[in-house]
Amino acid sequence: MADGTSDDDTLTVKQQREKRRAEKVAALKKKQQAEKVRNRITVLGSVAAGAGVLSLIIAVVVTSATPPVDPSTIEVEGVQVIEGLDPIHVQTAVDYDQTPPAGGPHNPAWLNCGIYEEPVPNENAVHSLEHGAVWVTYDPAQLSDDEIDRLRDAMPSTYMILSPYDGLDAPVYASAWGFQVALDGVDDPRLNDFIVKYRQSPEVPEPGALCSQAVDGPGKIS
Amino acid sequence: MSLTFSTSSRRARLALVGSLLVLVALVAGVLLGRATAPGGGQATPTATSAEAGFARDMQTHHSQAVDMAILIREATDDPEVRLLALDILTAQSQQMGQMYAWLVSWGVPQTSTEEPMAWMARPALDGGHDEHSEGHVPGERMPGLATPEQMSALAVAEGVEAERLFLELMTAHHIGGVEMAEAVLARTELPLVTNLAAGMVAIQDKEIDYMRELLAARQ
Repeated sequence: MADGTSDDDTLTVKQQREKRRAEKVAALKKKQQAEKVRNRITVLGSVAAGAGVLSLIIAVVVTSATPPVDPSTIEVEGVQVIEGLDPIHVQTAVDYDQTPPAGGPHNPAWLNCGIYEEPVPNENAVHSLEHGAVWVTYDPAQLSDDEIDRLRDAMPSTYMILSPYDGLDAPVYASAWGFQVALDGVDDPRLNDFIVKYRQSPEVPEPGALCSQAVDGPGKIS
Repeated sequence: MSLTFSTSSRRARLALVGSLLVLVALVAGVLLGRATAPGGGQATPTATSAEAGFARDMQTHHSQAVDMAILIREATDDPEVRLLALDILTAQSQQMGQMYAWLVSWGVPQTSTEEPMAWMARPALDGGHDEHSEGHVPGERMPGLATPEQMSALAVAEGVEAERLFLELMTAHHIGGVEMAEAVLARTELPLVTNLAAGMVAIQDKEIDYMRELLAARQ
């Protein structure tokens, strides 16, 4: 029978010592190996846990991400809100509280949207505001031809009226039904903000109703 | 020397595994977020998305078709053309309302913060340019839109001459509309949008054939 004891008996003292050392080294290596695996598990475990937390955070961010240009979050500084406007149809001239008007009684015929080079009738333009148009008016005495051209180029192709308006107390006004802002000039950044916020806004009475097929004012160029 | 080498290679391996896990976490996070986001697993379109661009530009495009239909109904007594015009006028007005409401519910403006057609100049979902968006640039005229001169001509024309002009202009308008609808189909998987766009393609294609028949009968 070749068991360990009988084997040892046949070995020299030197051989026995070497064998014991080899066993010790093997045990140490095994221990180190186990430690290494444990370490690796710890590291990978932490990375995985970190990754899990990160993915949860990303998931929450993606879920709750809000669109960047929600019109309701756009603040137009200095905007005047006009409440209690009466949307009745009248055939007569109307004396409006605002200059230019920003809603109220109006003519049954709306003004066809577009770019005008002559002043347009208030009573028709106000009806277009009810349909979701933004009406930009400028005082021709306060703007150069070049500035007027730039204003024309900045207008969206539908649901916009641009017309001169003599005697304004600011170079440019932008008006929607119930909202109005006086602007410092054609480069005032509030002009674009106002158009983005109020053109076809759900806050006006009839967005999307026609802004064509009714009446042209004088001097319609497009 | 060899010890340093083995340590740094182990570090490199760990870093690689770590980066892979972070990448997996990113993808998992985005997918999980999308899946649990309100809107049935689809993210809400943003202000500059193809869906929002289509909803705005198609409202503008449809509004001209409505104008053309109103003009021809006033210019002719022909029952076939008047009925077709009434069909287009009511259907497209209703679709404009749908697209208007999408934008409101997505919390994005009706007015674009970039130029018209910018959405169509961007790559499709498959990364390429579909055949319909080839050569489109932001700010250009929408396909099939009649010029102001053509609209003025339609406004003053009468009888068969007006019918012919209407059928020619509306055929071109429909071809352009189909092009825009197919461009959004290549750029979205949102059922709300694909259902309406696919319907536009199907119906307008049929109406193009019908308008060609009506036009041939009036030559």
